[in-house]
Amino acid sequence: MIQINPIIRLVNRNLTISINPGFIIWQILFPLIYIFVAGFAYTSLIDSVPFGGKNLDYPAFLASGMIGFNIMNSTLISGIIIWNDRRHGMFEQIMSGPFTRTHYILSNIATIGIIGLFSAALITAVGYPVFFDSVEFNIVTIPLIIFGSVVGAILFGSIASIISVKLRSSEGFNVIINTVFLFCAFASTAFYPVQGAPQPLATIFYLNPLSYLVDIIRAGIFGQVTDFVITEMLVLVALAAILFVIATKLLTKLDF
Amino acid sequence: MLCIETKDLRKKYASTLAVDGVDLQIESGQVFGFLGPNGAGKSTVIKLLTTLISPSNGKISVLGIDSAKHPLEIRKKIGVVLQQPSYEPTLSAEKSLEKYGMMWNIDKKIRKKRTEELLSAFGLEEIRKKKMDDLSIGQRRRVQVAREFMHDMELLFLDEPTVGLDPAARRKLLDFLREQVKNSGLTIFYTTHVLSEAEYLCDNIAIINNGKIMAVDSPSELKNRFGHEKTIKIHISKVSEELKSKLSKIPECQIKLEPEPTVIINSTKSEIILMNILQILNETETKINDLSAIPTNLEEIFLKVVGDSN
Ligand SMILES: Nc1ncnc2c1ncn2[C@@H]1O[C@H](COP(=O)(O)OP(=O)(O)O)[C@@H](O)[C@H]1O
Ligand SMILES: [Mg+2]
Repeated sequence: MIQINPIIRLVNRNLTISINPGFIIWQILFPLIYIFVAGFAYTSLIDSVPFGGKNLDYPAFLASGMIGFNIMNSTLISGIIIWNDRRHGMFEQIMSGPFTRTHYILSNIATIGIIGLFSAALITAVGYPVFFDSVEFNIVTIPLIIFGSVVGAILFGSIASIISVKLRSSEGFNVIINTVFLFCAFASTAFYPVQGAPQPLATIFYLNPLSYLVDIIRAGIFGQVTDFVITEMLVLVALAAILFVIATKLLTKLDF
Repeated sequence: MLCIETKDLRKKYASTLAVDGVDLQIESGQVFGFLGPNGAGKSTVIKLLTTLISPSNGKISVLGIDSAKHPLEIRKKIGVVLQQPSYEPTLSAEKSLEKYGMMWNIDKKIRKKRTEELLSAFGLEEIRKKKMDDLSIGQRRRVQVAREFMHDMELLFLDEPTVGLDPAARRKLLDFLREQVKNSGLTIFYTTHVLSEAEYLCDNIAIINNGKIMAVDSPSELKNRFGHEKTIKIHISKVSEELKSKLSKIPECQIKLEPEPTVIINSTKSEIILMNILQILNETETKINDLSAIPTNLEEIFLKVVGDSN
């Protein structure tokens, strides 16, 4: 039986050490500025984006993509926590206290889940005026956003964890994690529709889990759950499961 | 009650046998010193006893709990200050204590009270609002040790806690620890390579080298046991061939020529040997410039025990 209390206490600690003004600005201000500046600036270039059976305004398309992007971004937290804990001896300290590795891993997932959900909710609320014309809220909207937040948090959180376990130097960690996340952000359908992209880029878009994540969230918001989206959900779950197992194995094997 | 018990404890890293057949039986309610030079295996033993790593061989029981079966149950009852620094860089000293208490599920009111007490006991009031990242190594170390007293425990492991502390802070910490053991019946497992600390603080001391326990006893018993061995130095004017050949027949004595001619006796029967040597010096008409007997302190016992095992 896994106890819940130790996990809640670790989540409390995780949130205390990670939430600071810099992080909040990065999590909230950046997406907002991006939605309003880029969203409207590019409208003249990108007239409308076909999605499912619909045509979306570019700002609506971008704002919904931003939710997925923010979920991914918030998982950086998990990598940073693990990496800092190892660097500053807190991992050993926690592991010699009233906690198990399972508590530690689950608390990290819960932390990014909470931050992911929170930022998804925030972007949804603030982006709402931008995409409300095209919104088709229905019974699956909220479940799909929550599904995306949780599965996305596990998937990208595992990637961040794997990188943080494998890298000890601070330069290496920052360079790799930023490169991976930046690549995922821009080689995806978060900011740019696949329809306008040249063929090789379009293929890369669909080798990138963030594209699946934003497609699922868009499907929820704009009410366009197609067979393809369901396939994407299955792929995302499978990928998240595999990466989670790898990350857990690596964390379990970490030596002192 | 036995607080810690190990049987034939071994830990092997790729090519090093860091812990090589350690048998410990430690009673509760004392400060148990674990003394050894760098690389002796002290930290590895602490990691084994605190269930951070598992042994290659042997059995560990801590507070009557089998460490292979119920490691979490052990960890709930112990406190650990490891050798390496451990801190939350973004938190203040005060908040570090507070949050640590929270992690140990200590009631908020008690947390507040203990934080104040510990900040004062460890002389941290002036830096309480400073971020851990901005503290000096010694200040961080003090927070790290203080933090461990936020929660209740039956047994506390301290791995070289005084490294980086100035003499005043060091003494303050040792006195604080003594007080805790006296007042709350806490047991402390204390590793150090500083002998004076072990002598000042510990009720019993184990000397470890190359992963093996060389001796276990109280500081005074250790002195008694090895203390019979005395070193006597006789500084002489010159060394003749005759003297050399006569002295070579006497065991446990050696001649040193540099920096000045000296006869050194190192034995449990130094006095008897001294009589013989004085006679020889007399026969060979060797003049004695100076004679000194070096009393045994723990440091010499330590160096001798460790030296013998190397
Ligand atoms: N994780 C490890 N991997 C390989 N060798 C190790 C590891 N930890 C310790 N050792 C080796 O084990 C021996 C004992 O180390 P340690 O217990 O840290 O000594 P002490 O704490 O007494 O200075 C040393 O030779 C050290 O190099
Ligand atoms: Mg050590």
